[in-house]
Amino acid sequence: MSRVDAAAIRAAFRERGFIADEAFGTALQLALALEKPLLIEGPAGVGKTESAKVLADVLHTRLIRLQCYEGLDAMSALYEWNYPRQMLHARLTETDGSSLEQREAQIFSERFLLKRPLLEAITEERSPVLLVDEVDRADEAFEAFLLEMLAEWQVTIPELGTIRARHKPSVILTSNRTRELSDALRRRCLFVWLPYPSLEQEIDILHARVPGLSERLALQIARLMHALRGLSLQKAPGVAESLDWALALMSLHRDHLDAKTLEQTIGCVLKVHEDRAVLDAHRDAVAPILSDTSSRTEPGGYGLETDFGFGSVSAPRG
Amino acid sequence: MYPFRSLPENLIAFCAFLRDDHGFAIGPREAHDAARALEIADLADERAVRHVLRPVLSGTREDAACFDAAFSAFFFPGPSRVVQSELSARPRALNRADANEPAPDRMRASATAEGGIDESRLTVDGQLVPAPPSEVTDAARVSLARASYSPYDAEGEVGGPEIRRADPEWCDAARSLVRRLHVGLSRSWRPSTKGQRFDLRRTLRVSLQSGGEPLNIRWLRRPKRAPRFVVLVDGSRSMSGAASTALELAVAIAAATMRIEAFTFSTGLRRVTDEVQRAAAGDTVRINRLQHAWGGGTAIGECLRDFLRRFGDRLLGRQTLVVIASDGLDVGQPDVLRDAMREIRRRSAGVVWLNPLLETAGYEPTASGMLAARPYITTFAAVNDAAGLARLSRLVRIRM
Repeated sequence: MSRVDAAAIRAAFRERGFIADEAFGTALQLALALEKPLLIEGPAGVGKTESAKVLADVLHTRLIRLQCYEGLDAMSALYEWNYPRQMLHARLTETDGSSLEQREAQIFSERFLLKRPLLEAITEERSPVLLVDEVDRADEAFEAFLLEMLAEWQVTIPELGTIRARHKPSVILTSNRTRELSDALRRRCLFVWLPYPSLEQEIDILHARVPGLSERLALQIARLMHALRGLSLQKAPGVAESLDWALALMSLHRDHLDAKTLEQTIGCVLKVHEDRAVLDAHRDAVAPILSDTSSRTEPGGYGLETDFGFGSVSAPRG
Repeated sequence: MYPFRSLPENLIAFCAFLRDDHGFAIGPREAHDAARALEIADLADERAVRHVLRPVLSGTREDAACFDAAFSAFFFPGPSRVVQSELSARPRALNRADANEPAPDRMRASATAEGGIDESRLTVDGQLVPAPPSEVTDAARVSLARASYSPYDAEGEVGGPEIRRADPEWCDAARSLVRRLHVGLSRSWRPSTKGQRFDLRRTLRVSLQSGGEPLNIRWLRRPKRAPRFVVLVDGSRSMSGAASTALELAVAIAAATMRIEAFTFSTGLRRVTDEVQRAAAGDTVRINRLQHAWGGGTAIGECLRDFLRRFGDRLLGRQTLVVIASDGLDVGQPDVLRDAMREIRRRSAGVVWLNPLLETAGYEPTASGMLAARPYITTFAAVNDAAGLARLSRLVRIRM
């Protein structure tokens, strides 16, 4: 996997429903070619985590995920001894006459080692994709530990000795910028900013991920999402929200978006109560995007009332 | 080729240009990586070269944002259609760089202080897309403009204040503030002699000494969360003396904890964390007068909103105490200030407002700015000396 070019990566990503632009494709190519970790920053819900999953799929390798959280310590990221099992083993073999050294070697063998994501990534046969998700949520102390790990790719377990990586994993770090990352970590990594997709990209993504979505609905969703992201919302909707919404509208058998449908399904998009007030204040901005025909008179459209009132529920079309 | 013959020379010159003129953190390792990265790019394709160099050479979003402009300025310095070899001198600073500011970090500070980078308008290429026209930004611009024309505007070259290492009394008071501030328990477990959770790992380890019998029990406990501070100092003319005191307070806190961010604002917001931390380490630093950030009128609401937009996500949180030092004499819209204060309050552990006028006999906080901000202040006080800070440390209330 030494020379993959950006175009091939983008094509492979597109096959798997992930629309990557040129800059992002090149960044992935660089990360693979230079064997450096790639730090992806961007707003929530633009596919930072998803890109790592897709990359693992493209490279036909395992994805090992380390989800960071506040209070994550080195031990729960690296390894732990299985103490209950060790104790049980020690008790059971108390009388079998083996020497102290033998018993110790048994107790501190790989059988009793619980591998956590980082150790797992190092000991993997084929170079895996290691996803360090939301690294900004971990504390500074863990960040320092991670730095050492990314530089050395080796772990010393006092009872077993030093374990060196057979193959360097491809590392992807993601951050939502809830905290400033240290310069040292940034300098170890390649950096790429993943923004919200453009209108055309979003339509592409909708078609790639929600097969059977009508042209018109995709355009409406993408335009509305664009308009929403321009408002000063507390939680701007990401791509994940547009996909959810598209699925919701599909399952309600809508082939277009009008004011009433928007009202009914807005919960898929805006997740904070105050944001709905913001949207209400900017009704004029979204009005041109919505179609003025009501869902009932639209030929082929199914209103909520007809579905539930008369029980004529049908499978989603397309 | 321009300005040197060979590719490595050009690359090194470009790295030096980014480092010196734009404050990128680029060392030999980055330059080496950039050279390796160029091997896989099609050098005839300018876009490909940009895409390849950007992830390697930039480290932050701000870097990525000015990368393309810097790339164009370095490799395509002249007007279009002028052959590079016919251009004589290498371009120095870009237009965004302030000619009065020699040090690169200042330049970047100025770029951000001017609001040069609007984060919501960046594309992945780091290019700025035009701002959507909206009434809000227009209103903001009008009130900012009004503030800068107002009679409170700075006159001529008013130098900023000089800050230096804080006195021991200040440091003691700041340490006590940091110590007393209880922003909850951390989520991580640390070994301790007494605690709530049994530490199997260490108990077993220490029991080796006693032949496997766990005689010494080890415990785990959650340590106190380290509080973070954001100090926003009003640098307007009406604050002149009090602002220096507030900066002294920021330096004292910086001496007690690393987790502090400091800003000055008047008609624009400026990050002075670096200066404050250098002062805490013993340097004498002059905070340069920059744009309208020192000695002008105040648009508190606009500045706080600017702070929220640019730094809110990264700096605010449940363990952040926001300290605002201002007299509340605002020339902006009270509504903007109210919204910004509500947001800051919602996203932080507490809001301390230090108003120097509070010590004045007969002062009532009735200025429109103060009235708008008042409901969202958790601690309203004045700090004029170290004793005042010590008093404050007993006063601060944290919302849990």
